[in-house]
Amino acid sequence: MLYDIRQTTRYRYAAPVPFARQVLRLLPVARAGQRVIAADLVITPAPTERHDGLDFFGNRITTVAFAFPHEALTLETRARVAVEAGPPLDANATPAFEQIRDQAVADTDLGPTSPVHFLFASRAIAIDEAIGAYAAASFPPGRPILAAAFDLTRRIKADFAYDPTATDVTTLPGDAFAKRAGVCQDFAHVMIAGLRTLGLPAAYVSGFLRTLPPPGQPRLEGADATHAWVAVWCGRDIGWVGLDPTNGVQVAEDHVVLAVGRDYSDAAPVDGVIVTSGDHELDVEVDVVAVA
Amino acid sequence: MTRKQTNRRSREAADRAERLIANYRPLPGVADEFIGPDGAIRPHWMRFVETMADLGPAEVQHRFALADRHLADSGVVFRVYGEENGDERPWPLSHVPFLIEPKEWARLEAGLIQRARLLDAILGDAYGEGWLAADGALPAAIIAGSPEYLRPLVGARPVGGHHLRFYAVDVGRGPDGRWWVVSDRSQAPSGAGYALENRIALSRALPDIFRSFNVERLAGFFQDFRAGLNALNRHEETRVALLTPGPLNETYFEHAYLARYLGFVLVEGEDLTVRDDTVYMRTISGLKRADVLLRRLDADFADPLELNPASRLGVPGLAGAVRQRNVAIANALGAGLVEARAMLGFLPGLARRVLGEDLILPNVATWWCGQTLERDHVVAEFDRMVIAPALGGSVPGLLDRGAMLGSAITPGHKAELIRALGRRGADFVGQEAVKLSTTPTWRGTGDEARLEPRPSILRLYVARGRDGWTVMPGGFCRISDQPDARAVTLHQGGASADVWVLSDEPVAETTLLPSPDKVALQRVTSTLPSRAAENLFWLGRYVERTEAALRLVRAIAGRHVDAEHDGAAVVERLDAALAEAGSVDDDEHATPSARALAILTDRGAFNTAPRLAEASRRAASVIRDRLSPDAWRCVADLEALMQQPLEGETDSDILERANAALRLIAAFSGLVHENMVRQHGWRFLETGRRIERGLAIARAVRYCGMSGRPGELDALLELADSHITYRIRYVMLPARVPVVDLVLLDSRNPRALAFQAERIRQLLLELPAHAPAGLLGPADRLATRLAAETGTADAAALGIDHILGFERDLMRISDEIALAYFTHRRPAEPAEGTA
Repeated sequence: MLYDIRQTTRYRYAAPVPFARQVLRLLPVARAGQRVIAADLVITPAPTERHDGLDFFGNRITTVAFAFPHEALTLETRARVAVEAGPPLDANATPAFEQIRDQAVADTDLGPTSPVHFLFASRAIAIDEAIGAYAAASFPPGRPILAAAFDLTRRIKADFAYDPTATDVTTLPGDAFAKRAGVCQDFAHVMIAGLRTLGLPAAYVSGFLRTLPPPGQPRLEGADATHAWVAVWCGRDIGWVGLDPTNGVQVAEDHVVLAVGRDYSDAAPVDGVIVTSGDHELDVEVDVVAVA
Repeated sequence: MTRKQTNRRSREAADRAERLIANYRPLPGVADEFIGPDGAIRPHWMRFVETMADLGPAEVQHRFALADRHLADSGVVFRVYGEENGDERPWPLSHVPFLIEPKEWARLEAGLIQRARLLDAILGDAYGEGWLAADGALPAAIIAGSPEYLRPLVGARPVGGHHLRFYAVDVGRGPDGRWWVVSDRSQAPSGAGYALENRIALSRALPDIFRSFNVERLAGFFQDFRAGLNALNRHEETRVALLTPGPLNETYFEHAYLARYLGFVLVEGEDLTVRDDTVYMRTISGLKRADVLLRRLDADFADPLELNPASRLGVPGLAGAVRQRNVAIANALGAGLVEARAMLGFLPGLARRVLGEDLILPNVATWWCGQTLERDHVVAEFDRMVIAPALGGSVPGLLDRGAMLGSAITPGHKAELIRALGRRGADFVGQEAVKLSTTPTWRGTGDEARLEPRPSILRLYVARGRDGWTVMPGGFCRISDQPDARAVTLHQGGASADVWVLSDEPVAETTLLPSPDKVALQRVTSTLPSRAAENLFWLGRYVERTEAALRLVRAIAGRHVDAEHDGAAVVERLDAALAEAGSVDDDEHATPSARALAILTDRGAFNTAPRLAEASRRAASVIRDRLSPDAWRCVADLEALMQQPLEGETDSDILERANAALRLIAAFSGLVHENMVRQHGWRFLETGRRIERGLAIARAVRYCGMSGRPGELDALLELADSHITYRIRYVMLPARVPVVDLVLLDSRNPRALAFQAERIRQLLLELPAHAPAGLLGPADRLATRLAAETGTADAAALGIDHILGFERDLMRISDEIALAYFTHRRPAEPAEGTA
């Protein structure tokens, strides 16, 4: 599947910001099952400093600094990305989750895709016994990892209410879990907390989701949003498998990966330090159009 | 002295020595420093006891008191973490040093250097190629799971080639008499400054004993460490900077102390800025490159952009500057990784793998539960072990306060832990429970004095010098209050002791090696961070403002006591001036006396003397490295004095307190005047004082200098401390024009406004100019005009509007100084109301 992606992020500041330094994760990179044909980020106003590079997890990051007062900031991503789903997996044929647990902690790789980075508490996701107990219901002894994780994915979809007013970007997984409500970021965080509490490696993935148009109707422009889901490590042979607890599905050709990390704080599209006295307004528009 | 007397004396001393140690009983199953495994007193210790006994009980008490006073006078404190107000505790010193023999020390020294090499190599690999993980010598999960594995720094090669430059080890002597490493400190080890202070205190109190014991000196170690860091300072636009989290940190005293001792600039994150991946210090002369940072701030807090976004203490972009190799940080960001307890289990193997050597110093036996066999062992031996977090300081919900003795864990908690060990064993280690050796402490006084054993642990330091690793021949000994405590920390109450490394030969008084960085004479210290300048400026303002408030209070209280003056009317004017200066509630304090009392004692309202003294102390606390210990003492004493309740509420009580406080301020002024080198820092302090004094005298003239009533003019002369001059100059009762001329316009009177204006003008001329093309800056222009106007004005023609104009000019000068030199800076404590 070939997608044209356009994302526009607009900040308007109540008072002029005299100085800002930010890290942007707004450009997709090639990954297993994903090719980037073209990608470009336009920043208005033009920053004083701009450096493009890769972070530890292989995400493309753009570091910018603005050393002059500015009242607005617009970040426009345009990309053409090809997504190809791998061969279908038989969830019941994957290794038992206990085996995954032992393999993961004994892994000798320190590289960015190694499970060892995704086993432990991270900045936004604590080890949480309550969520662990909830997740454990999907993990009876000996159950294959993908079957169990997929079951957890569907239970979160069924048990949690999608409610943007219930949480915000700083909500901790424990709170979203207690409310059984939130948005994609919360569902991903809750699922990761559950898996890690059971000793299983789980990663946070941010990106885009193509909303399938209803039959016979044109797709709605601008109806899509930035999305987040989970990747679960299924052993050295299979590697990482994407699971989307917001939609209760396994990731195939409808998801485009933007950034991967241990939690939202590793994958945040815009992160930074601005010197300001006032508040700001934020407005994000995303279009993911299938071109072929 | 006759032979008989000498004999009796030495017999007395021998008896005293006998009494000191008569009841010394080592604890069962624990090694002791004083009594060897054979049950005999170790010879060097016996010599120490005899020497102390020779001094006699009175002399010993005197010596101990001297040491304590030295520590108190130097302001040695440590702060209970996170408490803003006050809770600074005096440092408890155990007066008996911890003695180490030369042979034993040689082995410790070799073991420490080996360990520093090993941990530095492990850090290099973990942030580099990752071979140790790849070939299984060190589990990748231990590295990846540590909260101190900072991913933005992976692949960054440190300037100078070493992740570790200052490293500390906690060691204890085990029951078998061998030294064991209990833990490693590689993040930003504390205590070296306290060790120095303990050394100074004790060696001054016992100089003869100290010399006769051939104790190794500490100075050479610090000189070598400093030289190593200075060698990395390539641009030399600024000195090496010591990066501190600030005065709220529990070891801030030590940061300031070490900065002063090592000749480094003390900076907070706000003092630094990153531009184009290069670190600069904000100074009063603009941005200057900072090449080398000695870091006392935890690495995770060092860069809110790429590390902990919640940090308000760091420098955005610092990690990027490290990656571009534009700054050297000691220790490197991420060096805390090797503090993980789980590492301990792998170090013996890693020493063979990395260095091809066996570990000289064993560490506490440790089983990482991320491995099945080790986990099963820990579960089986649970009650005999210490269960501890493997990778960080705690395991939330399970080991919230860190390590616990297995036998002390309740059955319910144990069941939870065992379940967690099954799922997430990687978060835990089991460790052998080590009983630390005991060392003699001095208890009681006079004939009751006894030595008693107490558990102790040593912190020893290794630094990277110019040419390699160097070990501090001494250290920091922590001693438990409880005879049976296992964990020794100062938070739990306890004391510290100096560590004496004994030498077989006399030790040179000063260090042998001239340090290359000390050779060039310097008369100017160029780097003054803007924040330090600002706090000096505000220290000057606050101290002077305190003085003005106290003088008003004193004048009011004195008018009541001294019936000679026509009290009521004058007091009313003074009271009005006080109301403008301070801000206590009018309704609550109906009479001038009540208001004077409130200004003197109320800690709740703004601009009262206690609040101003507190603001002075806060401003001073941020720049302690730039004040002499005596000057700091004055400011701290002033605050302490103002916090004490008054004995009574009569005018005499008020006068006594005001006078005592004014004497402290006079002492501070004297110290600043006589002891502070005339550099930019002094200029900011002085300018702050001059501005505030000008404001105070102008205000006083407005209230007491306009009507011409003799009582008011008399009060004005008192406020301006100009009585005597007036009496010498004019043999008559106070008259308006000569009084106003003397206190406002006489540029030779150090209390007059004209004098302040002229001083401010001169001080500003000596500051680095921010105005282009040799033109005067806005502050200079204002000061020049004010000096000219006050210097040429006619006292008879001066109205209230003129005086208000002078005050406005002073406040604008203050604003312009802030804009030119402190931009984007807040004072330590924002001043309410004025300026």
